[in-house]
Amino acid sequence: MPDDALDPVIHAPARLRVVATLVGLGGGDRISFPRLRGMLDMTAGNLSTHLRRLEEAGYVTITKTYEGRSPATYVALTPAGRLAFDVYAQRLRELLGSGR
Amino acid sequence: MDDDDTTGTPLGTEEALAIIADQRAAAARTQPSAPLLFGVWGTAWVLGYGLLWLSVGEDELWAAWAAVVAGLVIVAAMVVTAWHSVTRTHGIRGRSAQQGAMYGWGWFLGFLGQGVTVAALADAGASREVVGLAANAIASLVVGLLYIAGGLMWRATAMYALGAWILLAGAASAFAGIPGSYAVLALAGGGGMLVAALVTRVRDGRSRA
Repeated sequence: MPDDALDPVIHAPARLRVVATLVGLGGGDRISFPRLRGMLDMTAGNLSTHLRRLEEAGYVTITKTYEGRSPATYVALTPAGRLAFDVYAQRLRELLGSGR
Repeated sequence: MDDDDTTGTPLGTEEALAIIADQRAAAARTQPSAPLLFGVWGTAWVLGYGLLWLSVGEDELWAAWAAVVAGLVIVAAMVVTAWHSVTRTHGIRGRSAQQGAMYGWGWFLGFLGQGVTVAALADAGASREVVGLAANAIASLVVGLLYIAGGLMWRATAMYALGAWILLAGAASAFAGIPGSYAVLALAGGGGMLVAALVTRVRDGRSRA
């Protein structure tokens, strides 16, 4: 990826919404798949597709666990994902010319 | 196909920044609202301690009813706090959930300690006035220190300042006697919480704009 390009993994509306939401959670936090889906108002299939892409890039971790008898899936941003988002947001602001 | 980086119009810079701002606001709603909780507890203190203040010196029946209603107001505030916190943080696990649980237990332990201390003073023969003054001042100490702890944990300056104010006002209230102590807690304590609710509400609104 050239220095001035926006990270294509993040620079897509749906994945940007996923990553920006995860960045807004506290560091060291993870969120249940249904809660994340509700916050983004995306279909389960759509969200799964984007999460898989983010997981392949090493930006999120997806943990499958059990709560009592029922399976539960949790999503968390990795340090690499947080860094990639910071770089992405910085480039956006540079592109906008404000340089804030 | 729903993989939107291969289809549709390209994502614009301003549009991307707007998405980021929107999702930050959405993520903030996974934490309890400081203005709402300060507002609930400010109202509870104004009503609860206000009733106790006004009932001192009235006949026994009036005073008993005032104590019952004040208790119900506090219980209602506890229920709202628990319901709001559980709803907001539903589905969030990890560090902040652990911090929140430890903080919640801190309140339980603090007021357990307050109740036991006040009971012990009464048991040791302290007058009704001394018991009342100690109950109010120690309750304010617990609330003040826990707000200070919350301010440290969430780097929330308004919460820290409110804690310091309640702690000091509560300590000073012990010089106000009974019923003056109740007036201090209702007006300075509850009033301070309502001011904090307003300040954090205005600031939240501004940072979202």
